[in-house]
Amino acid sequence: MRIEYVIKRLFYCFLAFFVGISITFVILHLMPGDYISHLLINIESTISPEASEAFKHKFGLDKSLTEQYFIYIDNLLQGDWGYSFEYGVPILNIVVEKLRWTLILLIPATLLSLLIGVFIGAYFGWKSGSKLDLSVLNVMIFIRAIPSYWWALMFVLIFGFYLGLFPLGGYMGIGVLESGTDYLDILHHSLLPMITLTLCSIPGNYYLMRNSMLLTVGEDYIITARGKGLSEKDILFKHTVKNAMLPMVTMITLELVFMISGSVFIETIFSWPGMGMLMIDAMNARDLPLLQGIFLMDTLLIIIANFTADMLYSCIDPRVKVGE
Amino acid sequence: MHRKVAFIIGKKRLKRNVAFTISIYILVAFSIIAIFSPVLTPYDPYTITGTPLEKPSMGHILGTNDLGQDIFSRLIYGTGITLFVGFVGGGLAILIGTFVGIVSGYYGGVIDEFITRGIDLLMVIPMFPLLLVLASFLEVSMTRISILMGILGWTMFARVIRSQVLSLSEYNFIYGAKAMGASDSYIMIKHILPNILPLIIVKFVFAVQTYMIMGVGLGFLGLGDPTTISWGQMINRAYTNGGFALGMWWWLLPPGLIIAFLSIALSLGGYSLEDKINPRLRREIEIS
Repeated sequence: MRIEYVIKRLFYCFLAFFVGISITFVILHLMPGDYISHLLINIESTISPEASEAFKHKFGLDKSLTEQYFIYIDNLLQGDWGYSFEYGVPILNIVVEKLRWTLILLIPATLLSLLIGVFIGAYFGWKSGSKLDLSVLNVMIFIRAIPSYWWALMFVLIFGFYLGLFPLGGYMGIGVLESGTDYLDILHHSLLPMITLTLCSIPGNYYLMRNSMLLTVGEDYIITARGKGLSEKDILFKHTVKNAMLPMVTMITLELVFMISGSVFIETIFSWPGMGMLMIDAMNARDLPLLQGIFLMDTLLIIIANFTADMLYSCIDPRVKVGE
Repeated sequence: MHRKVAFIIGKKRLKRNVAFTISIYILVAFSIIAIFSPVLTPYDPYTITGTPLEKPSMGHILGTNDLGQDIFSRLIYGTGITLFVGFVGGGLAILIGTFVGIVSGYYGGVIDEFITRGIDLLMVIPMFPLLLVLASFLEVSMTRISILMGILGWTMFARVIRSQVLSLSEYNFIYGAKAMGASDSYIMIKHILPNILPLIIVKFVFAVQTYMIMGVGLGFLGLGDPTTISWGQMINRAYTNGGFALGMWWWLLPPGLIIAFLSIALSLGGYSLEDKINPRLRREIEIS
């Protein structure tokens, strides 16, 4: 039964994957304005039609949309994500390279914000109703209400510009040209965007955890535990927090989607060479294959996160009847 | 002990009520500013009324931007489009989400299965990047962009409302209405909708907040119609055209602070409403 469930989920993932990339393929190819006329907007009249035709032929743009679609899917199944108009290199290489930079920010930020959010949320869910709880709640509402790009701008302005504690942007100092890659330098550059991303995702985690705690504290088994004479510490850690953590697993998936959009702003403001910057770049250049590749990677990430959350959930919550 | 807890919760609810009233006042004030912005502005925001990069003075309260346009007037003019994007985008997303959620939750069975699976499939598509691409390729007005935002963002709301309707449909009064021969559409409109209305309103407030921030964010990224004055575009201009490097805080800060202020007001209103309707805090479900 368990294997059946896993196979069913996997099949579903493939379905979601194809539906996702098909929709983005159609939308992207319906967009007005192609690469060559956009690139050569000023010299369009002087470019020879032959050159334009040769470009279109090389990238298969002279074929019909359906034909292009099947070629695209066929290539994809062979692990070929196509070539970028702008850079002329395989898209998979570009996307993977940029993804690495994004993950350098995303992974620590996700883990940190989860850890801090869950910890604060659990503590104040337990002590709800106190004066401190109310103040923390208001502070969290405040942090969340301010847009992530505004936090980022303020941090650059205060810590980068006025205090000079951090670089204004980028990922390496100019010094690497002589000394080679300096990991400490990269860390220094990544710290401020990482802190911003973390700060912006703490309130969401905190709020969910606190609500989940409030819900769990009211359950009958907590009253039973108290009736059994267990110590408050045992009730908190062994019964309440453990159960209240369950909805957090689903949260991780939502978090990822939130972070993908958030990182577009953060990367733009901090000039961080990740997926978000790449997307803005590809968008401005009308580099359709590259955009398609970015969507493909985002979709893949979301699907993998969904799948992991599903599997984790059925593992840690025995009440979920797997396969039904 | 019990009395003490009840007292604290009661006091807290009182405070939340105050927060809600304040946020309504703020929203009304901003709407008035938006409607009467041509009267309230000292200068035409599009014309050049001073030398570029003037410091704040009696003539120009917040100085002038790099083109010599009055920053204060532009700030006032930007109010309308921000509210518009929030209300239209958020409203549309809630409208579609409510419709799909009620249909899915009320009918259940195959229809529900079909819709839920469909939403699951749609949620795999990274909507925000898609919005960016559509906004940049179509080069449309902010009106169209807010409609696009609504069309792309309803899935989350449909899910929440569906699960609420699903449990509501099991109540006896729904069965009673069915037994009396009421039509499905009558039950959905007269019985289901009023009962989930508080939830819809809370979600609407948060949706407006989110979409407002997103609308300003799009402007900040340089997307959307460049001829429409918006706070996002103002931040973008100040950031890229020297306001940042020259330390001209009166150019960069006001639009950001004002969107943050509006967003905090809305979110306080939303949380206090949520507090009111949240059955977890009241421990009883009221069915009218």
